[in-house]
Amino acid sequence: MAWGGDEERRADGDEEEELDETDYKTQKDAVLFAIEVSDSMLLPPPAGDQKKADKDTAVSAALKCAYQIMQQRIISQPKDMMGILLFGTEKSKFRNDSNSRSGTGYPHCYLLTDLDVPAAGDVKQLKAMVEEGEDLDKLLIPSSEPALMSNLLFCANQVFTTSAANFGSRRLFIITDNDNPHAGDKNVRSSAAVRAKDLYDLGVVIELFPISREGKKFDMTKFYDDIIYRDPAAEAGVSDGIEASKSGDGLTLLSSLISNISSKQTPKRSYFSNLPFELAPGLTITIKGYIPLHRQQPARTCYVWLDGEQPQLAQSETTKVDSSTRTVQKSEAKKAYKFGGEYIYFKPEETDKLKKLGPKGLRLIGFKPRSMLPMWASVKKSIFIFPSEEGYVGSTRVFSALWQKLLKDDKMGLGWFIARDNANPIMVAILPSRGSGGDASAASFLPAGLWLYPLPFADDVRNVDLPSAPRCPDELTDGMRHIVQNLQLPKAMYNPLKYPNPSLQWHYKILQVMALEEDVPEKLDDPTIPKYRQMDKRIGEYLGEWKEQAAKKAKELMQSRAVKRESDFDDGDRPTKRAKSVAAKKATGSMNNAQLKLALEQDTLKKMTVAELRDVLAGKGISTTGKKAELLEKLEQWIEENA
Amino acid sequence: MADKEAAVYIVDLGESMADFHNGRSESDLDWSMRYVWDKISTTVAANRKTWTVGVVGLGTNKTDNPQHNDGLEGYENISILQQIGSMSMSDLKELHRKIKPSRASGGDAISAIVVALSMIEVFTKKLKYNRKIFLVTNADTPIDDAEKSIADVAEKLNELGIELVIIGVDFDDADYGLKEEDKSSVKATNEQVLLKLVDQCQNAVFGTMAQAVEELAIPRIKPVKPFKTYDGSLTLGDPAQYKDALSIHVERYFKTKRAPPPTASTVVTKPELVGGPSQLAIVLDEDVEMGGTEFSSVKHMRTYRVNDPDAPGGKRDVEFEGLAKGYQYGRTVVPFSESDFSVTKLETKKEFTIIGFVPFSSYEPFLNMGETGIIAAQKHNEESELALSALIHALHEVESYAVARYVQKDGAQPQLFLLKPNPGIEDPFECLYDVPLPFAEDVRTYQFPPLDKVLTVTGHVLTEHRLLPSDDLNQAMSDFVDSMDISTFGTDDEGKPAEYAPIDELYNPVIHRINQAIRARAVHPDEPVGPPADILVRFSKPPDNLIENARADIESLIEIAEVKKVPPKAQGKRGKKDQVKPLSGLDIDSLLGQSRRTTISPSNAIPEFKQALATADDDATVESAAKQMGNIIRKLVEDSFADLFYAQAAENLRIMRDELIGLEVPGLYNKFLVSLKKSMLSGELNGDRREMWFKHIVGGKLGLITQDESEVSEVTEAEAKEFTT
Repeated sequence: MAWGGDEERRADGDEEEELDETDYKTQKDAVLFAIEVSDSMLLPPPAGDQKKADKDTAVSAALKCAYQIMQQRIISQPKDMMGILLFGTEKSKFRNDSNSRSGTGYPHCYLLTDLDVPAAGDVKQLKAMVEEGEDLDKLLIPSSEPALMSNLLFCANQVFTTSAANFGSRRLFIITDNDNPHAGDKNVRSSAAVRAKDLYDLGVVIELFPISREGKKFDMTKFYDDIIYRDPAAEAGVSDGIEASKSGDGLTLLSSLISNISSKQTPKRSYFSNLPFELAPGLTITIKGYIPLHRQQPARTCYVWLDGEQPQLAQSETTKVDSSTRTVQKSEAKKAYKFGGEYIYFKPEETDKLKKLGPKGLRLIGFKPRSMLPMWASVKKSIFIFPSEEGYVGSTRVFSALWQKLLKDDKMGLGWFIARDNANPIMVAILPSRGSGGDASAASFLPAGLWLYPLPFADDVRNVDLPSAPRCPDELTDGMRHIVQNLQLPKAMYNPLKYPNPSLQWHYKILQVMALEEDVPEKLDDPTIPKYRQMDKRIGEYLGEWKEQAAKKAKELMQSRAVKRESDFDDGDRPTKRAKSVAAKKATGSMNNAQLKLALEQDTLKKMTVAELRDVLAGKGISTTGKKAELLEKLEQWIEENA
Repeated sequence: MADKEAAVYIVDLGESMADFHNGRSESDLDWSMRYVWDKISTTVAANRKTWTVGVVGLGTNKTDNPQHNDGLEGYENISILQQIGSMSMSDLKELHRKIKPSRASGGDAISAIVVALSMIEVFTKKLKYNRKIFLVTNADTPIDDAEKSIADVAEKLNELGIELVIIGVDFDDADYGLKEEDKSSVKATNEQVLLKLVDQCQNAVFGTMAQAVEELAIPRIKPVKPFKTYDGSLTLGDPAQYKDALSIHVERYFKTKRAPPPTASTVVTKPELVGGPSQLAIVLDEDVEMGGTEFSSVKHMRTYRVNDPDAPGGKRDVEFEGLAKGYQYGRTVVPFSESDFSVTKLETKKEFTIIGFVPFSSYEPFLNMGETGIIAAQKHNEESELALSALIHALHEVESYAVARYVQKDGAQPQLFLLKPNPGIEDPFECLYDVPLPFAEDVRTYQFPPLDKVLTVTGHVLTEHRLLPSDDLNQAMSDFVDSMDISTFGTDDEGKPAEYAPIDELYNPVIHRINQAIRARAVHPDEPVGPPADILVRFSKPPDNLIENARADIESLIEIAEVKKVPPKAQGKRGKKDQVKPLSGLDIDSLLGQSRRTTISPSNAIPEFKQALATADDDATVESAAKQMGNIIRKLVEDSFADLFYAQAAENLRIMRDELIGLEVPGLYNKFLVSLKKSMLSGELNGDRREMWFKHIVGGKLGLITQDESEVSEVTEAEAKEFTT
């Protein structure tokens, strides 16, 4: 999600989503929506008696869907393009030729939003159409004669050829309720099929989102089977189950359409492909890798040039210079490590040798029961892997057998993994996911397959050594158990799709408001904020009682501790002599907040040494830099605020 | 903030240290110094001013120590080689020159320890320090074994809190299993004396060099003090609004935090030095930080440009000072003034509050988005301690996790955490672990076909298919997985079966490999880079004896799986004659046949080019198609205003390249590219087209087709490289 910050991002390469090295094409996605405008597409839905009845015509549902996806893409795929093409309209428009009716090469095709990274204006225009139902230009009027499908397809061809020439992923989303255009006219159908082949050769994938009406089946064989190709990049054995969107079963046409389109909205980008997976010496299969979970961050700031007619993005270029600001040529630059105030230099071939700890690939080391994965052992997101027949025929069946075995016996694999040439090796646990198949189990929104779960290295584990807290009495645990059982999340699972990222949403909400000159919203609907009222209603009273009980136990504990401290003190073999400095000496670490507060009041804090102050501050998570006076100040401030 | 440290190394430089013993191919001194250099260079690498090092030579030709200067006896042949101080690379080089075996054979090791301890006493005063003395020696020279003096030294060491480490060349060590045969009686006595000293110290180690050197390869993990990331309340309900809500005072620390490998800086050879190494090049320049070296650091300079139709090349430079900050919304730029820059930041208050609970079974570890935290109750806060303990045990008993919203401090981005109970099992104290959860935006819904069935185009479900495992394969896989079990394949400290490759044995190979190499190079600049230490690549493959045990199961799995490697040539490329058909299987080529494409139109160039080649049955047609495509590309570049058509031209070029490789006529492409390059760089195509050449063709890897890519090509890898630089 970086804009103009590419230089900086490359630095933290490992965290970055590295793209498939076998594909030099620009890893960008372009989607053109083609929405049919016809009488039936404009037919208002039958007036339902339910409250949630459909209110949208098919066209308006499609436009709303496009609007929603446009907003989503601005957030999640800010470099990707999108466009909207209406077909079957009375008016025609393609790029600059605005004279409707005639003149354009593509009659009854109306390019509503040209294929590009969406601008605020595009969002605004679409918003006006879907929210206020504005159709100022009378676009949504069907033509008397239908648009030729061959024209539509060639129009799309031209849009992709010129606007997204080198995009890695280009897709045409056709939304229609007509399964048999040009019925009977063989020639017209043939020329559509030829244009579809052109699109295929161009590398454009057609995705059809059919709408079925009143129980009528959308029959692919009538026309669309001649138009649609199986995605050459698709995994073996995949079949594009095209489900028609429809209204009914408590679903509106809009929600049905959105769910169908959303599932195909993100282009499937692989993280690596044709990677060897060595199960044992002599047995290797090939896998592809994906990153289905990736933290989205608000975009970085960019620099804007304001002296022109319109604000314009200033593109930055970096040059490397030496100490006398002379430009450094690429061939001059060397890599060296800082060490003891000097640079330690390795020749490029030595650097390569240092980093090379093996060829890229995944190698199995052995298997363990799942229970041996400590629950704290987490460092970063996992990678999803799926078999491919690219390098080894038979990979899929071997992979499937492994997947089934790991699921059945609750086992995990341990693997040595190097994602790319020159990538750093990591150790991974190989874990199976069940997917949506079978019972509605964990993480059913994620696909079935294997996951490479990065294990922490010993270097990544912090040694936190905390004192053992006293175990609470059983009756408190029993009470708490009741509370836990009564505050389950809906469907007893964490479904991330229900929790949008509040900072991200707010960031783009405000940007949208500024870009479209709308009013700033007061509050964000944020599902990550607990439903306090509901909670109180459900367990409040019970929790209140529990707290009273806990307070009583806490008091007992405090007393027993005080007694123990006293007896410890009596046993101490270094009595009175040191008693005077107890307040200061005890400070190190073990001094609790009350004691700190006391020390502050009695003004004995400054008797502490710098080392002791640092210990205490470090224990509170406060920076320990600075002179004694500064350290004291920091500690005093902390005590005032916290103790 | 790490503790301060003062370490003094006493190195035996006596004459006999130059000798080779017990079949080693290096002198006792070189061998011992492996250990010492490793220790010292680790200190240098840490680059901490408060980690100080001193060095004392034992058995030196000269004598230079305060005790001797004060007229005390028994301090001959002991020299302070380096006073205690922080250690830099140049100190290291300096020291390197001083470590040489002497021609002396005197020098009392115990006296040297006294010299070292008084150095430490003077340097550290009463301040808080980690104090250490290392002694490496082959104990070949007699040591005064007066009981009294040994006891005195031990007492002094204990009083100052100094840790004493004595590592001897070929010292006997029963634990390690080493006993030197034909040991001289002097050495045997000395070993006893030193051992006696060690026994009287509170904190001392006595070891043999072989073990010390062997253990150098074991990576040392940089200790990091626990860092508290949160200190405040963990709530259930909202205590501000509801009196019954629960608030627990907790502290949160990192449990895991990724340790980054060392990163190299970009440097250049100092300009003054270009043209020949000069010994006098001690450059007094602004590079204070990295003085006295032959390299200087490289800085980055940024320039900013905007599109300007009137400027040559369509772009012009703008001053950085005149630019405003902003964000992009799609392709619209939204500038912000400095004052309302923060409005896009969500206002948040520091909080940690539970949203609800979910059963263990509803969660999978691969949903974890990052590093783990550890949550414990505030110390000496009885109510919080009990409440957190109750929560931990309740969660553990009903097998549930908590989901909580976490805002680290005011204004920070909210995160969702999964809280997992640890009732003293994985760490020996009660705590909660937390891991970050994904938000809706973080999930990409990719679809994949099922792994246990095949759906046909017509919607049938198949359970037997070449992509699915047979029962035999499932059985073979099951046997294989079971026999490759490593849950008890390792051994613990007592030699009992234990988990193989537990996390505390997984060292990050890159970090330690690079650090070891840097240290080695700092001490011995002329030695080549060696192979990685075995311990670092230990888990890069399954253990040999495991494979041996599982041999039969592996072989039967291989046999039943029948996996075949795809020959390299057939990969990736679609066969020339392999017809592509739509779902219906309609023969498009026959439709096309009616109007067979031989001329290629610029507007539909890629499909028509592909189709022309697909139906071409003679070389002339291929040549003609390539020629037409070439002209289209030329025209696109020529007509391009600034870079308007570059992407399109490059894409046409890429298709042309791929297709001609497929047809095994790379010559056609190479010939065209040579002439295109000439035209573009000579300005023949309507202006400066260098950007097209460098960014799109060179950058897009569209250079000449080499022999590696197509056997019939006449262009070598080197020639192709030459062509694009």
